[in-house]
This record gives sequence, C-alpha cells and structure tokens, in this order.
Amino acid sequence: MKELLVEIKDLECKIGDQKILNGLNLQVNKGEVHAIMGPNGSGKSTLSSVLAGNDHYEVTNGSINFLGEDITEISPEERSWKGLFLAFQYPVEIPGVSNINFLRTALNEKNKFHGKSPIPAKHFLKMVADKSALVGLDNKLKNRSVNEGFSGGEKKRNEIFQMAMLNPKLSILDETDSGLDIDALKIVASGVNKLKSSENATIVITHYQRLLDYIVPDFVHVLHEGRIIKTGDKNLALELEKKGYDWLKIDSLN
Amino acid sequence: MITNKLNYISLFGGESDNALEQLNSSTFPTRKEEEWKYAPLKKLKKIPFINHSEFNVQNLNSFNLPSTSGIIIVLENGKLNPNLSKLFSLKGLEVSFISNSKEKNSYSNNLKGNDYFSLLNSSYLTEGITLKVSAGIVIEETINILNISSCDNCLINTRLDVLLSKNSALHIKQYFLGKSSTKNGFINHINNFSIQQNSSLALDKFQDLNENFNISNDRINQDRSSKFISNTFTCSGLFTKNNIVNNVEGENCHSELNGVFTPSYNEHIDNHTLINHLVPNCQSFENYKGIVKGNGVGVFNGKVVVHENAQKIEAFQKNNNILLDNDAVIYSKPELEIYADDVKCSHGSTTGQFNLDSIFYLRSRGISLKKAKELMILGFINEVIQKCNDLDFQDFIIDSLLKN
Repeated sequence: MKELLVEIKDLECKIGDQKILNGLNLQVNKGEVHAIMGPNGSGKSTLSSVLAGNDHYEVTNGSINFLGEDITEISPEERSWKGLFLAFQYPVEIPGVSNINFLRTALNEKNKFHGKSPIPAKHFLKMVADKSALVGLDNKLKNRSVNEGFSGGEKKRNEIFQMAMLNPKLSILDETDSGLDIDALKIVASGVNKLKSSENATIVITHYQRLLDYIVPDFVHVLHEGRIIKTGDKNLALELEKKGYDWLKIDSLN
Repeated sequence: MITNKLNYISLFGGESDNALEQLNSSTFPTRKEEEWKYAPLKKLKKIPFINHSEFNVQNLNSFNLPSTSGIIIVLENGKLNPNLSKLFSLKGLEVSFISNSKEKNSYSNNLKGNDYFSLLNSSYLTEGITLKVSAGIVIEETINILNISSCDNCLINTRLDVLLSKNSALHIKQYFLGKSSTKNGFINHINNFSIQQNSSLALDKFQDLNENFNISNDRINQDRSSKFISNTFTCSGLFTKNNIVNNVEGENCHSELNGVFTPSYNEHIDNHTLINHLVPNCQSFENYKGIVKGNGVGVFNGKVVVHENAQKIEAFQKNNNILLDNDAVIYSKPELEIYADDVKCSHGSTTGQFNLDSIFYLRSRGISLKKAKELMILGFINEVIQKCNDLDFQDFIIDSLLKN
C-alpha cells in the first residue's frame, strides 16, 4: 500500500510580475524517487525553492500538502523540522559560522520542535563522523566555515552530508550533479542511495540524464513553462537525452 | 559649558591650575570639528552635571560579569568602592591611587592631550589609578578595572596610568558600566599607557553604559619591540566615544586595535583611532565590526599615519558593518597617510545588510529566523571575539552583544 508523502496541487507562483509556476501537480509517495527534468527557465529551481519555503517567491494559487498537512504558508525552518530538505544548486558560503556549530544548532532546533532534549556532544560527534564518511567529506572541512573556500564538489558533498545528519522524509536535490566530475558524482549518488528507505522519498532535479544512471528514478517528469507536461519511467530520460525537449513542447501544444 | 553648571569638588579642589587654565580658554567642541562631526554633543551639553560620592551598588550580580580572578578594582561614580574591590599585592606590580598620592600635581601637569574632554578630566579629576610593572615581570593575574556610573547626572573623571618597564607583561580587563536604572551619568576617562622595550600589554575593554555617556581618551606609547593589543567591545550607551592614539616610537613593534560595536535605538557609538608609525619595521592591524540596530548610529574613523623614514611598515586596517534596520546609520572613514615609500599598507570598509540567501540557507536547515540572524552575527564578529584568550570572557561578550 503506497503512502502519500507530498501532494502538490495546482501550484502557481510568481516573482515580481513574472509568473513562473503555472498550475503544477505532483504526487510523491514514500519510497519513491522522482526526477524532474526540463529546459532552462522551465521552473525547476523555482519549484525547489518554493517547496523549501523561500519567500522570495509568492505563491498565488494551489497548495503543498506534506504528510496530510498544508505547509504552503509555513516557514522554511518549520518545513525542515517536519522533514523536508533541499540540497541547494548553489550552496551558500557563510564566513565565520563553523559547519559543526551550524549543524549542531540545526539538529537542536529540530529536537526542540519535537520536544526532545539537545543532542549530547559525544553522540553528535559520532554521528558527524559516521555521516561524513558516507560522502567522503574531508574531516578538516567540518571545522571550517560553512562552505567557505570549498570546491564545487566539496560543497555538494556537504549538502548530502547535511541531508544525512538531518535525516529528512523528503529530499529535493536541485541540480546536485552540476559542477561535479564523474567520480564525485558517483560518491554523491551513492550517498543518496544509502539514505534511501521505504519511509522517505527523493525529488531529483536535473538537466542531464547522467545522474539518473546512478540515482535511478521511479518516475521522470518533464517541466515546461511552469507545469508538468509529460510523465514517464526512467526510459523517458534516455529519450530526452537523445531527442531534446522540442518534440515534447510541440506535443503539449497539440 | 559643562563646568559652568558644575559645583564640583575635584581631587585638586578645582584648582588644577595648568589644566583648568587651558580648559577655561577652550570651547566646547561642535559638530563643525571633524573629530566631532557625527557626535550628538547637544545631548551631553544639556545635562546639569553634579558630583556624587555615595555608593549605590551593593554587589556586581546585576552586571552578569564573567567569572573574574585576579585583582578587581571597582570605581563607582569615580570613587574606589572597597566592598566590591579585591586588592592584593603581586610581586612586581605597584598599584596606587592618585587620591592617596603626595604628588597629585605632577599628574595634573602631566597633560596628555589638550582636547576639551582631556582638559575637563585633568581639571576635575575624580580618581586615578596607576599600575607600574617592574622590569622583567610578567603578571599572570588579570587586572580587572570596573568603572561604574550609578548616579543620575553624575560627572565622573577618571584616569588609568600604566607603565610597563622593560621585558614585562600585563593583561587588563577594563569595564565601563552604566547601572541599568541610572540616566545621564558621564564617565570621562583617560587611559595613558607607556610600554617599554620588549613589553606586552593586552587591554580588553568592555562598555555597556545603558543610558549613560562615556568618552575614553586612550594614549599609548610603545617603545622598541613591544606589543599592544586592544579589543574594544561596546554593547550599549547613549553616547560612547573611544579615541585611541597609538604612538609607535620604537622599531619592531606589534600593535593591534580590534573592536565590535553594536549601537541600538537612540544610541551613538563612535570609534576614532590613530596609529602613528614614527619609526621603521613595525606592524599594525586594525579590525572593527559594527552592527547597527534601529536608529542607532555607529562611527568608525581610523587613521594610520606612516611618517617619513618609517620604512618597512606593514599596516592593515579593516572595518565591516551590518545595518539591521532601515534607519540604522554608519559613518565609516578609514584613512591612510603615508610619507614613506617602502611600506605595505591597506585599508577597507564595507557596509551591508544580512545576506538573504544565507538566512534562507540556514532556515532551510531548521534554524529559526532569530537563531539564523544570531549565527550570522556570530560569524561576522567571530574573528574579533577570538582575539580574547579567555573563553568565559568570550561567552560573556557574545551574550552581551546579542542581548542588545
């Protein structure tokens, strides 16, 4: 029996006067991996930002339901506490804030929300050691400032490391493959796969089919002009790789 | 003029001839003077100042100070409060008070500045502390000096003279505090430090004046191969102004002036610094961080002068500011004057708001908006906080700065 994790209904949003999402519908069940593909400017990154609660975008219609609760209006931090995670396409550098301090604050805020006590230092450090091994994150990086001076690959590994630490129910990977060489891509993908369970789900946003060789999707959706115009299985991604997006755009017009 | 309204009994009976004469012939500064361009002097001028000698502070608990070891000297409204102080003798350290000195006039005539507030201080001195460290002595204990304003409209003229003889070292924590219910007290202070060859002086200055005024004129003279580090943390105050003049008179010196200042609603916090590189082969570093809230006003005016023939100087100056609200104001003016040709100097100033992308990033990880801003502030001031070696003191500074 499939259990619904997230349901996006008729979602519309704009930034300034520009409408970006245009009646988007998507359902993700626990245990599933969904890939969202689409040409530049189709709204992929906007979708991930809106799901994570970035108030830069204004939701003008529709709803996001997460585990039966409407989360369209709630803050980014509360979405995180409830189990939503966004791996950023461009992770932000925050000088002066140590990775460790940042993560510990994040975990403790989550614990507080769930009425749990702060995580003991020893337990926390063990967890850090275990989870960073998962993506081969260099020990030294953990004590550095958040993403500061990290290479492109290190930043993406750090995203998946944070994901592992926070153990979300829904992870949205926004172009996690961009800026990664093939070895780093394999490591990051294997990290994501190890975190997969029947209790969580993943939305993978990508331009290229390559990532989907390593993180195999159950469904592939094509986003165009702010709505999903085609859904298929992993073979759709292969087809897109060969033929591009133009044939679908024409299809959708007809 | 402040002194016209002043029925003042000073240490010198108001008759510190040299200073008083000069004070009477000088005028109260105005905003037309570069040094006072941004200062809300009107507020200060309007107060009918009095002097006061009673003690109102029973204990130091309400100030939530960090755990303190070492010597504690508490001046309350300029007078030594023996109940709150902890004085004991340390080998190689001489502590004395000008009020007990037989040579009071040698202090008043030993003027260290002819600006209005230095003259006011010298003319109407309430109390002065002198610390002398003997040659070759490293004082391990911290000297804590608390200067508290606990009486409305009280004018407090205090002074700290420090002399480090050759090869000695000293660490001072200096607190300027305004009792929370006290209004319009004014601590007008002079720090006068002389650091001889191979000696090292560290000053951590903490200012939390609440609704009181504080002007501190600091003059530091450094002899050959000496080290001076000053960290100034200014949390609150109606009007706080630090003027630091650091004269580097001997070669191979190291000078550091760091600070964090957080003016909030209706507050004005001003840092004026001047580093005079008079001789070659020295290094100086300056790093001030301002965080301005509400309609608060912050000022950083830092000047480094590399005099003729002072070659091989390395001088770096930095001021970064964050404005938290639309009405917040910062005046930042880093200045370099270089008259030598073989030097390495730089200065820079930035002012901005919180980076919204960073805030969103932190929130997306489950860090609340309030905590996210705190983390950003901590990240911003971290490099200055790290300059203090004492972890308890670091925590205290962070808590104090965040509460404002």
